[in-house]
Amino acid sequence: MIKQTLETLKQLLLPPRYFAWQTVIYMSLFSWLMSLLARSVDATPFTVGLLATLSWFCLALGVGWALEANKIRPFGLSIAPWVAGGILCMFLFGSWGGRWLQPALVAWPMVSFAVIALPSLVSWDFTLKTPPAPVRQQLALLFCLSLLFSSWFQFYFRIQNWVRDYPSLVADSVDNSTFVYRFPGQSVALPAGVTYLTIAEDRLQSQVNNQPWSAVERWLLNLDGQRQAMEQQVQAQMGQNPSLENSLWRFDLQPFSHGDGYTLKLWAIWSGPAASESGYFLEKTCLLMPVSRAGLVTPENASPGYSNTQWANLTCDLETPRQAGHPRDTQVRG
Amino acid sequence: MPITNLLSELGMIPLRAIAFQTMLLMVAIVLEAMVLRQQLRLGYRTSMQYAATLNLLATSLGWVAFLAVEALLPLSLRSQVISYVLFNRFYANNWLDVLPVIVVMVAIAAFFITYWIKLQGLGWLLRLLGQAPVETTAEAIEDNRRQRYARARGGQTEGQRSNSPRALAVLQANAISFTAILLLLLAHQTGGLG
Repeated sequence: MIKQTLETLKQLLLPPRYFAWQTVIYMSLFSWLMSLLARSVDATPFTVGLLATLSWFCLALGVGWALEANKIRPFGLSIAPWVAGGILCMFLFGSWGGRWLQPALVAWPMVSFAVIALPSLVSWDFTLKTPPAPVRQQLALLFCLSLLFSSWFQFYFRIQNWVRDYPSLVADSVDNSTFVYRFPGQSVALPAGVTYLTIAEDRLQSQVNNQPWSAVERWLLNLDGQRQAMEQQVQAQMGQNPSLENSLWRFDLQPFSHGDGYTLKLWAIWSGPAASESGYFLEKTCLLMPVSRAGLVTPENASPGYSNTQWANLTCDLETPRQAGHPRDTQVRG
Repeated sequence: MPITNLLSELGMIPLRAIAFQTMLLMVAIVLEAMVLRQQLRLGYRTSMQYAATLNLLATSLGWVAFLAVEALLPLSLRSQVISYVLFNRFYANNWLDVLPVIVVMVAIAAFFITYWIKLQGLGWLLRLLGQAPVETTAEAIEDNRRQRYARARGGQTEGQRSNSPRALAVLQANAISFTAILLLLLAHQTGGLG
């Protein structure tokens, strides 16, 4: 049993003749080791680069050859050029560092096409040759096909750019789309409107919380002014990390009387692309109540009139439920 | 489950677009191959290959044009494109009223540009395959003379037909495939194909 395994291993590792894929893989390994050696003895970057390049090319050639020689063809398709093209792309763009994945994936189909086309266009002595007409037809078809694949990759990256420009789009459902699909089960990010409402809440806290109740009543009298001021302040705060979608969020607030005090509703209204016809908004509910500070101040040392002064107390809900439509519309209907 | 994590890392993938486009391409290729085969008297295999090459060329050039134009659009129009791609609807902004006009105009322009690309592409393909009548060769001149003779004998209509059978065939093929694609898109939009 062990002997048999060793035998197959030996057959796999030792090529039957020199002109085999194993030789190319060994050449790749050898030049990779040589490039490591060259780096350790401080050879010129050119030498190291040349050896590494040679190693990558040999690896691409060897893997492609191995796949082809062992007849590894899933679904009857020859994947050798695609794998070899992929290895070449990893080498060509991976050495750039940074965001190399996008150009590598976009170039992958074209590089694979080059891998397929090169053997039929260039003969062994590096002279151009003209392949027969059926091969030319095949190559023209393949070129168009690889251009299409490349466009699909590019479209994918364009969508990612959109999502980076407008992060709140991720929070919406794309079930109706004819173009994109999102695998279920991923955590959906919160729309930027949540940040918006948090900033608004902070502003509100600093303006009305722990103020005398009469001042709060005065503050509420100039509601339109407060609304505009608040929107400007929030926009200014959001402007610190500029995003294209900032201009698509609208801010609004409306007090409703609630017992002695008020319920303040803060709204972040999304006016950009949305899945539903009516759009959506996020709502934060705050309770603004008058409290007398009688408990804090003992009656003896309190000056007359102080104890019945009422102070504003603002408490906001943490959650910001998302609702369909526009807040002003629902109010009219409700 | 690492594979699920990986898939969700990818975010929105244009899988539906790829599937739908593959289907539309197949329909268009089959229809156009039928037209080319009848009009140009080609073999079954040849007409399929021509139709596939031309359609793939037109589609990928269309993608290149879309990706280039999309990057140049003003932001408010670009967000309408995003809205259409992600949510299959336009949203209310100041472009909403003129969008139907723009869509129809783009569709008409796409038809003629596609026709032009396919006609040119067929010319390039035939030249690539060495089957285009090159004016200088002896056969071509002979062919030309025969054509002129046939034209003189057959009268005006015959002459016009033999003048550009290729252009007519490509126009017909393009018209048929655009009609089929339009019908399929309408069926899809009205909720037939999910």
